[in-house]
Amino acid sequence: MERLSSSNEVIRLVVWIVISLLVPLLPWLVSGIGTAMYQPKKKQELLQREQAFAKTSDVLSTLSKPLSGKEVKEYQVLMTNVVMSPSWIQTLVGGILSLFGGEINVFTKVVDWSRREAQQRLREEAAANGYDEVINVRMETTTLSNTQGAKDKTTGVEVLAYGTAIRY
Amino acid sequence: MQPQVNIPFSNTETIPGMTITQMMGVVTGSTVRAKNVFKDIGAGLKNMVGGELKAYTELLQESRNEALYRMLVDAQARGANAVVNVRFATSSVAGGAAELLAYGTAVVVQ
Repeated sequence: MERLSSSNEVIRLVVWIVISLLVPLLPWLVSGIGTAMYQPKKKQELLQREQAFAKTSDVLSTLSKPLSGKEVKEYQVLMTNVVMSPSWIQTLVGGILSLFGGEINVFTKVVDWSRREAQQRLREEAAANGYDEVINVRMETTTLSNTQGAKDKTTGVEVLAYGTAIRY
Repeated sequence: MQPQVNIPFSNTETIPGMTITQMMGVVTGSTVRAKNVFKDIGAGLKNMVGGELKAYTELLQESRNEALYRMLVDAQARGANAVVNVRFATSSVAGGAAELLAYGTAVVVQ
């Protein structure tokens, strides 16, 4: 009887230690699970939107004149932007990886994702306004600063894509 | 809302179908903006899973339009009737504020 209660107590102690260790890690855990559920879904959506446009040749070009040489009837400067941020867990992993240097894969993915998103929005906006092509496309990346000093770690990267949309 | 400034602008070196007759110099327009605290908190929560921070996307979009508008007003004040080679630049200032700059070459076209 006495042995049983003591083993029960040991189990209770172990459970208590595990829980008290997990509690500080809870935000990271939630962030990790949230990231794994949210980001692949969004990336899949983006891929499908890109594939809808991939049937014809890309409407974006960085040339300052249209290659076809046709006369431009109408034009407008279009700009699209997106602000993306790495999740807490990605920031943590990135921070650890940056101790060793080299490529920080988690951050590469985030920046690449936002650049694709900004470009895709430019394609969609050009198509929605009935333009044939977007020439002289420029892209620009900015990091947004932390707000309220070091307490709020909200940081993001902004990608802006802009160009002249033209109609023949 | 801001009044409309009816000046054609382009980020290519020419305005399609028109010729540049006179150069009026570089015109700029800029603005520094910050989002309100409540939306900052919302963005902070979204930070947990990463991905797009819509509040900031909209903030920067609005501000960039404002910067563009100021640039066009500058061009009009100089007697230009078009702006070519428009470029955008962004930098972040402390405290969650961002500076948006639009600049280009003011020209007279015919």
